[in-house]
Amino acid sequence: MIGCYDFCAHYEWTFGWLDREGGHELVRAYWDEAINHDSQIHARELILKEGFEGMAKYWGHTLAEESPDLGFKITKKEEVFRVDMYDCPSKGFLLKNGLEQYPDYCDHCMGWIGPLMKEAGFTIDHEHNHCGQCWWDMRKQGEPDADVSIGATSGDSDVRLREEWAQDAAKVDAYRQANDPDDKVS
Amino acid sequence: MNTDNALPYHDTKPQGAPDFYYATNATFRFLLKKLGHDGWVRYLRDLGKGYYAPVNTQWRSGGLAAVAHYWRDFFAAEPGSKVEVDEKEDRVELVVHECPLIKQLRIGKREIVKEFCQHCYFLGQARANEAGMEMRLCGGNGSCRHTYAKSEVGLPPQDMSEIKEAQL
Repeated sequence: MIGCYDFCAHYEWTFGWLDREGGHELVRAYWDEAINHDSQIHARELILKEGFEGMAKYWGHTLAEESPDLGFKITKKEEVFRVDMYDCPSKGFLLKNGLEQYPDYCDHCMGWIGPLMKEAGFTIDHEHNHCGQCWWDMRKQGEPDADVSIGATSGDSDVRLREEWAQDAAKVDAYRQANDPDDKVS
Repeated sequence: MNTDNALPYHDTKPQGAPDFYYATNATFRFLLKKLGHDGWVRYLRDLGKGYYAPVNTQWRSGGLAAVAHYWRDFFAAEPGSKVEVDEKEDRVELVVHECPLIKQLRIGKREIVKEFCQHCYFLGQARANEAGMEMRLCGGNGSCRHTYAKSEVGLPPQDMSEIKEAQL
Protein backbone atom coordinates (compact mmCIF):
# COMPACT_ATOMS: atom_id res chain seq x y z
CA MET A 1 0.00 0.00 0.00
CA ILE A 2 1.10 3.52 -0.78
CA GLY A 3 0.91 5.73 2.29
CA CYS A 4 0.32 9.41 2.92
CA TYR A 5 2.89 9.77 5.72
CA ASP A 6 5.74 9.81 3.18
CA PHE A 7 3.61 11.15 0.34
CA CYS A 8 5.98 13.95 -0.62
CA ALA A 9 8.79 11.45 -1.05
CA HIS A 10 7.03 9.06 -3.46
CA TYR A 11 5.35 12.03 -5.18
CA GLU A 12 8.81 13.44 -5.93
CA TRP A 13 10.06 9.98 -6.99
CA THR A 14 7.10 9.86 -9.39
CA PHE A 15 8.18 13.11 -11.09
CA GLY A 16 11.52 11.51 -11.90
CA TRP A 17 9.86 8.32 -13.15
CA LEU A 18 7.51 10.27 -15.41
CA ASP A 19 10.39 12.34 -16.76
CA ARG A 20 12.29 9.19 -17.70
CA GLU A 21 9.16 7.60 -19.16
CA GLY A 22 7.76 10.47 -21.21
CA GLY A 23 9.96 13.53 -20.76
CA HIS A 24 9.10 16.95 -19.39
CA GLU A 25 5.77 17.12 -21.23
CA LEU A 26 4.50 14.09 -19.33
CA VAL A 27 5.52 15.65 -16.02
CA ARG A 28 3.71 18.89 -16.93
CA ALA A 29 0.64 16.92 -18.01
CA TYR A 30 0.71 15.05 -14.68
CA TRP A 31 0.74 18.25 -12.63
CA ASP A 32 -2.12 19.74 -14.63
CA GLU A 33 -4.31 16.72 -15.37
CA ALA A 34 -3.79 14.52 -12.31
CA ILE A 35 -3.18 17.15 -9.65
CA ASN A 36 -5.00 20.30 -10.80
CA HIS A 37 -7.96 18.66 -12.51
CA ASP A 38 -8.36 15.56 -10.33
CA SER A 39 -6.63 15.37 -6.95
CA GLN A 40 -7.24 19.04 -6.13
CA ILE A 41 -10.83 19.41 -7.29
CA HIS A 42 -11.69 20.68 -3.81
CA ALA A 43 -9.27 23.57 -4.36
CA ARG A 44 -10.63 24.17 -7.86
CA GLU A 45 -14.21 24.38 -6.67
CA LEU A 46 -13.34 26.93 -3.99
CA ILE A 47 -11.03 29.12 -6.09
CA LEU A 48 -13.05 29.08 -9.32
CA LYS A 49 -16.22 30.01 -7.43
CA GLU A 50 -14.94 32.32 -4.73
CA GLY A 51 -11.61 33.77 -5.90
CA PHE A 52 -9.58 35.24 -3.03
CA GLU A 53 -12.07 33.95 -0.44
CA GLY A 54 -11.72 30.46 -1.88
CA MET A 55 -7.92 30.71 -1.76
CA ALA A 56 -8.13 31.69 1.90
CA LYS A 57 -10.37 28.72 2.67
CA TYR A 58 -8.26 26.25 0.71
CA TRP A 59 -4.82 27.28 1.91
CA GLY A 60 -6.06 28.03 5.39
CA HIS A 61 -7.17 24.40 5.71
CA THR A 62 -4.43 22.69 3.73
CA LEU A 63 -1.47 24.49 5.24
CA ALA A 64 -2.84 24.10 8.76
CA GLU A 65 -3.19 20.33 8.15
CA GLU A 66 0.23 19.89 6.56
CA SER A 67 2.05 22.47 8.68
CA PRO A 68 0.46 22.45 12.13
CA ASP A 69 3.33 24.55 13.48
CA LEU A 70 2.07 27.31 11.17
CA GLY A 71 5.29 27.83 9.27
CA PHE A 72 3.51 30.20 6.90
CA LYS A 73 1.59 33.50 6.79
CA ILE A 74 -1.44 34.34 4.68
CA THR A 75 -2.10 37.98 3.74
CA LYS A 76 -5.38 38.89 2.05
CA LYS A 77 -5.98 42.35 0.63
CA GLU A 78 -8.51 43.72 -1.82
CA GLU A 79 -6.18 43.33 -4.81
CA VAL A 80 -3.93 40.44 -3.76
CA PHE A 81 -3.84 37.10 -1.97
CA ARG A 82 -0.41 36.22 -0.64
CA VAL A 83 1.28 33.26 1.02
CA ASP A 84 4.67 33.60 2.71
CA MET A 85 6.03 30.13 3.37
CA TYR A 86 8.76 29.94 5.99
CA ASP A 87 9.03 26.19 6.42
CA CYS A 88 7.40 24.22 3.60
CA PRO A 89 6.23 20.89 5.05
CA SER A 90 6.54 19.22 1.66
CA LYS A 91 10.01 20.35 0.57
CA GLY A 92 11.03 20.20 4.22
CA PHE A 93 10.26 16.47 4.31
CA LEU A 94 12.57 15.89 1.35
CA LEU A 95 15.36 18.02 2.80
CA LYS A 96 15.16 16.39 6.23
CA ASN A 97 15.33 12.94 4.67
CA GLY A 98 17.96 13.74 2.03
CA LEU A 99 15.71 12.86 -0.93
CA GLU A 100 16.15 14.19 -4.46
CA GLN A 101 15.07 12.28 -7.57
CA TYR A 102 13.83 15.24 -9.62
CA PRO A 103 15.77 18.44 -10.43
CA ASP A 104 13.27 20.95 -8.99
CA TYR A 105 10.54 19.55 -6.78
CA CYS A 106 9.27 23.07 -6.08
CA ASP A 107 8.11 23.44 -9.71
CA HIS A 108 5.20 21.12 -9.02
CA CYS A 109 3.32 23.89 -7.18
CA MET A 110 3.41 26.20 -10.20
CA GLY A 111 2.67 23.11 -12.28
CA TRP A 112 -0.82 22.76 -10.85
CA ILE A 113 -1.54 26.14 -9.25
CA GLY A 114 -0.46 28.09 -12.36
CA PRO A 115 -3.04 26.57 -14.75
CA LEU A 116 -5.73 26.69 -12.06
CA MET A 117 -5.14 30.40 -11.44
CA LYS A 118 -5.19 31.09 -15.17
CA GLU A 119 -8.58 29.43 -15.42
CA ALA A 120 -9.80 31.40 -12.41
CA GLY A 121 -8.58 34.72 -13.86
CA PHE A 122 -5.46 35.31 -11.78
CA THR A 123 -1.73 35.65 -12.46
CA ILE A 124 1.07 34.77 -10.08
CA ASP A 125 4.22 36.47 -8.86
CA HIS A 126 6.26 33.83 -7.09
CA GLU A 127 9.75 32.95 -5.90
CA HIS A 128 11.14 29.81 -4.27
CA ASN A 129 14.61 29.31 -2.87
CA HIS A 130 14.74 25.48 -2.91
CA CYS A 131 15.28 25.47 0.85
CA GLY A 132 11.63 25.30 1.94
CA GLN A 133 10.85 29.00 1.66
CA CYS A 134 8.73 30.73 -0.99
CA TRP A 135 6.16 33.45 -1.55
CA TRP A 136 3.14 33.75 -3.79
CA ASP A 137 1.15 36.84 -4.83
CA MET A 138 -2.07 36.10 -6.70
CA ARG A 139 -3.69 39.04 -8.53
CA LYS A 140 -6.48 39.39 -11.06
CA GLN A 141 -5.37 39.14 -14.69
CA GLY A 142 -5.01 42.49 -16.41
CA GLU A 143 -4.03 44.45 -13.30
CA PRO A 144 -1.21 46.92 -13.93
CA ASP A 145 2.29 45.92 -12.83
CA ALA A 146 2.14 45.20 -9.14
CA ASP A 147 4.60 46.23 -6.47
CA VAL A 148 6.34 42.98 -5.51
CA SER A 149 9.19 44.61 -3.63
CA ILE A 150 10.12 43.23 -0.24
CA GLY A 151 7.48 44.00 2.36
CA ALA A 152 5.07 45.65 -0.11
CA THR A 153 2.27 43.14 0.50
CA SER A 154 2.96 41.37 3.76
CA GLY A 155 5.16 43.90 5.57
CA ASP A 156 7.33 42.38 8.25
CA SER A 157 5.96 38.94 7.47
CA ASP A 158 7.63 38.86 4.05
CA VAL A 159 9.70 35.68 3.89
CA ARG A 160 12.44 37.57 2.03
CA LEU A 161 13.24 39.44 5.25
CA ARG A 162 14.30 36.20 6.89
CA GLU A 163 17.96 35.49 7.32
CA GLU A 164 17.67 32.10 5.64
CA TRP A 165 16.01 33.48 2.48
CA ALA A 166 18.88 34.79 0.40
CA GLN A 167 21.89 32.81 1.44
CA ASP A 168 22.49 32.31 -2.26
CA ALA A 169 20.43 34.60 -4.52
CA ALA A 170 21.38 32.56 -7.58
CA LYS A 171 19.39 29.66 -6.19
CA VAL A 172 16.11 31.60 -6.17
CA ASP A 173 13.67 30.85 -9.02
CA ALA A 174 11.35 33.75 -9.87
CA TYR A 175 8.10 34.13 -11.80
CA ARG A 176 6.34 37.41 -12.71
CA GLN A 177 2.68 37.52 -13.75
CA ALA A 178 3.00 33.88 -14.72
CA ASN A 179 0.82 30.79 -14.96
CA ASP A 180 3.22 28.27 -16.47
CA PRO A 181 5.82 26.24 -14.56
CA ASP A 182 8.37 26.87 -17.32
CA ASP A 183 7.99 30.66 -17.33
CA LYS A 184 10.79 31.43 -14.89
CA VAL A 185 12.37 34.85 -15.27
CA SER A 186 15.41 33.74 -13.26
CA MET B 1 11.19 -5.88 21.56
CA ASN B 2 12.56 -3.53 18.94
CA THR B 3 11.31 -0.01 19.68
CA ASP B 4 13.04 1.69 16.72
CA ASN B 5 10.68 2.97 14.06
CA ALA B 6 10.99 0.89 10.90
CA LEU B 7 9.91 3.62 8.48
CA PRO B 8 12.86 4.82 6.38
CA TYR B 9 11.76 8.46 6.22
CA HIS B 10 10.50 10.59 9.08
CA ASP B 11 8.31 13.63 9.44
CA THR B 12 7.74 16.05 12.29
CA LYS B 13 4.10 14.93 12.47
CA PRO B 14 3.04 11.51 13.80
CA GLN B 15 0.63 10.88 10.90
CA GLY B 16 0.28 11.98 7.29
CA ALA B 17 -2.42 14.23 5.83
CA PRO B 18 -5.26 12.09 4.40
CA ASP B 19 -5.97 14.54 1.54
CA PHE B 20 -2.85 13.11 -0.09
CA TYR B 21 -4.79 9.92 -0.77
CA TYR B 22 -6.67 11.90 -3.42
CA ALA B 23 -3.40 12.39 -5.28
CA THR B 24 -2.61 8.67 -5.19
CA ASN B 25 -5.97 7.86 -6.78
CA ALA B 26 -5.50 10.66 -9.34
CA THR B 27 -1.98 9.43 -10.16
CA PHE B 28 -3.33 5.96 -10.93
CA ARG B 29 -6.09 7.38 -13.16
CA PHE B 30 -3.51 9.50 -15.02
CA LEU B 31 -1.10 6.59 -15.55
CA LEU B 32 -3.86 4.23 -16.68
CA LYS B 33 -5.09 6.83 -19.18
CA LYS B 34 -1.67 7.81 -20.52
CA LEU B 35 0.27 4.55 -20.36
CA GLY B 36 -2.39 1.85 -20.10
CA HIS B 37 -2.60 -0.99 -17.57
CA ASP B 38 0.87 -2.30 -18.44
CA GLY B 39 2.40 1.15 -17.92
CA TRP B 40 0.67 1.53 -14.57
CA VAL B 41 1.92 -1.89 -13.44
CA ARG B 42 5.43 -1.00 -14.61
CA TYR B 43 5.26 2.17 -12.51
CA LEU B 44 4.20 0.21 -9.44
CA ARG B 45 6.92 -2.41 -9.91
CA ASP B 46 9.58 0.28 -10.41
CA LEU B 47 8.28 2.10 -7.33
CA GLY B 48 8.45 -1.13 -5.37
CA LYS B 49 12.01 -1.91 -6.42
CA GLY B 50 13.34 1.65 -6.44
CA TYR B 51 11.62 3.94 -3.99
CA TYR B 52 11.11 1.19 -1.42
CA ALA B 53 14.62 -0.24 -1.74
CA PRO B 54 15.64 0.74 1.83
CA VAL B 55 12.66 -1.16 3.24
CA ASN B 56 13.23 -4.14 0.95
CA THR B 57 16.76 -4.33 2.29
CA GLN B 58 15.42 -4.34 5.87
CA TRP B 59 13.05 -7.16 4.95
CA ARG B 60 15.76 -9.20 3.23
CA SER B 61 18.02 -9.04 6.26
CA GLY B 62 15.36 -9.08 8.99
CA GLY B 63 12.92 -11.58 7.51
CA LEU B 64 9.29 -11.82 8.57
CA ALA B 65 9.90 -10.02 11.86
CA ALA B 66 11.09 -6.99 9.90
CA VAL B 67 8.04 -7.20 7.64
CA ALA B 68 5.69 -7.22 10.63
CA HIS B 69 7.59 -4.40 12.33
CA TYR B 70 7.45 -2.25 9.22
CA TRP B 71 3.72 -2.67 8.67
CA ARG B 72 2.88 -1.93 12.30
CA ASP B 73 4.79 1.34 12.09
CA PHE B 74 3.42 2.06 8.63
CA PHE B 75 -0.24 1.81 9.63
CA ALA B 76 0.36 3.75 12.83
CA ALA B 77 1.30 6.69 10.60
CA GLU B 78 -1.67 6.35 8.25
CA PRO B 79 -4.78 8.18 9.53
CA GLY B 80 -7.97 6.13 9.71
CA SER B 81 -6.31 2.70 9.53
CA LYS B 82 -7.88 -0.28 11.26
CA VAL B 83 -5.37 -3.05 10.63
CA GLU B 84 -4.07 -6.08 12.52
CA VAL B 85 -0.57 -7.34 11.77
CA ASP B 86 -0.45 -11.05 12.52
CA GLU B 87 3.05 -12.53 12.64
CA LYS B 88 2.93 -16.32 12.17
CA GLU B 89 5.72 -18.86 11.95
CA ASP B 90 5.86 -18.95 8.14
CA ARG B 91 4.09 -15.74 7.11
CA VAL B 92 2.89 -12.29 8.07
CA GLU B 93 -0.74 -11.43 7.48
CA LEU B 94 -2.14 -7.92 7.38
CA VAL B 95 -5.82 -7.99 8.17
CA VAL B 96 -7.15 -4.69 6.89
CA HIS B 97 -10.49 -4.07 8.56
CA GLU B 98 -10.69 -0.52 7.24
CA CYS B 99 -8.42 0.69 4.45
CA PRO B 100 -7.48 4.32 5.11
CA LEU B 101 -7.24 5.15 1.41
CA ILE B 102 -10.64 3.82 0.40
CA LYS B 103 -12.15 5.38 3.53
CA GLN B 104 -10.81 8.85 2.67
CA LEU B 105 -11.72 8.60 -1.02
CA ARG B 106 -15.29 7.86 0.05
CA ILE B 107 -15.29 10.73 2.55
CA GLY B 108 -14.19 13.02 -0.27
CA LYS B 109 -16.72 11.45 -2.68
CA ARG B 110 -13.94 10.79 -5.19
CA GLU B 111 -14.44 8.53 -8.17
CA ILE B 112 -12.16 5.63 -7.27
CA VAL B 113 -10.10 3.96 -9.99
CA LYS B 114 -11.68 0.49 -10.28
CA GLU B 115 -8.26 -1.19 -10.41
CA PHE B 116 -7.22 0.69 -7.25
CA CYS B 117 -6.87 -2.33 -4.96
CA GLN B 118 -4.63 -4.15 -7.43
CA HIS B 119 -1.92 -1.62 -6.62
CA CYS B 120 -1.33 -3.29 -3.27
CA TYR B 121 -0.60 -6.57 -5.03
CA PHE B 122 1.66 -5.29 -7.82
CA LEU B 123 3.56 -3.05 -5.42
CA GLY B 124 3.65 -5.54 -2.56
CA GLN B 125 4.77 -8.41 -4.78
CA ALA B 126 7.59 -6.33 -6.30
CA ARG B 127 8.78 -5.37 -2.82
CA ALA B 128 8.46 -8.90 -1.48
CA ASN B 129 10.38 -10.37 -4.43
CA GLU B 130 13.26 -7.97 -3.77
CA ALA B 131 13.41 -9.41 -0.26
CA GLY B 132 13.18 -13.08 -1.31
CA MET B 133 9.50 -13.32 -0.45
CA GLU B 134 6.09 -13.57 -2.05
CA MET B 135 3.00 -11.47 -1.44
CA ARG B 136 -0.63 -12.35 -2.07
CA LEU B 137 -3.79 -10.30 -1.72
CA CYS B 138 -7.38 -11.26 -1.12
CA GLY B 139 -10.37 -8.90 -0.89
CA GLY B 140 -10.37 -5.17 -1.43
CA ASN B 141 -12.77 -2.26 -1.73
CA GLY B 142 -12.18 -1.27 1.88
CA SER B 143 -11.13 -4.47 3.63
CA CYS B 144 -8.64 -7.14 2.60
CA ARG B 145 -5.90 -9.54 3.67
CA HIS B 146 -2.24 -9.28 2.61
CA THR B 147 0.04 -12.29 3.04
CA TYR B 148 3.84 -12.10 3.01
CA ALA B 149 5.84 -15.32 3.11
CA LYS B 150 9.33 -16.53 2.23
CA SER B 151 9.48 -17.81 -1.36
CA GLU B 152 10.19 -21.37 -0.20
CA VAL B 153 6.78 -21.57 1.52
CA GLY B 154 5.26 -21.94 -1.95
CA LEU B 155 2.19 -19.74 -1.75
CA PRO B 156 -0.22 -20.50 -4.62
CA PRO B 157 -0.11 -18.02 -7.50
CA GLN B 158 -2.10 -14.81 -7.12
CA ASP B 159 -5.65 -15.21 -8.38
CA MET B 160 -6.48 -11.74 -9.69
CA SER B 161 -10.19 -12.48 -9.44
CA GLU B 162 -9.75 -12.52 -5.65
CA ILE B 163 -8.96 -8.80 -5.72
CA LYS B 164 -12.17 -6.78 -5.68
CA GLU B 165 -12.84 -3.74 -7.81
CA ALA B 166 -12.95 -0.53 -5.82
CA GLN B 167 -15.92 1.77 -5.94
CA LEU B 168 -17.36 4.78 -4.18
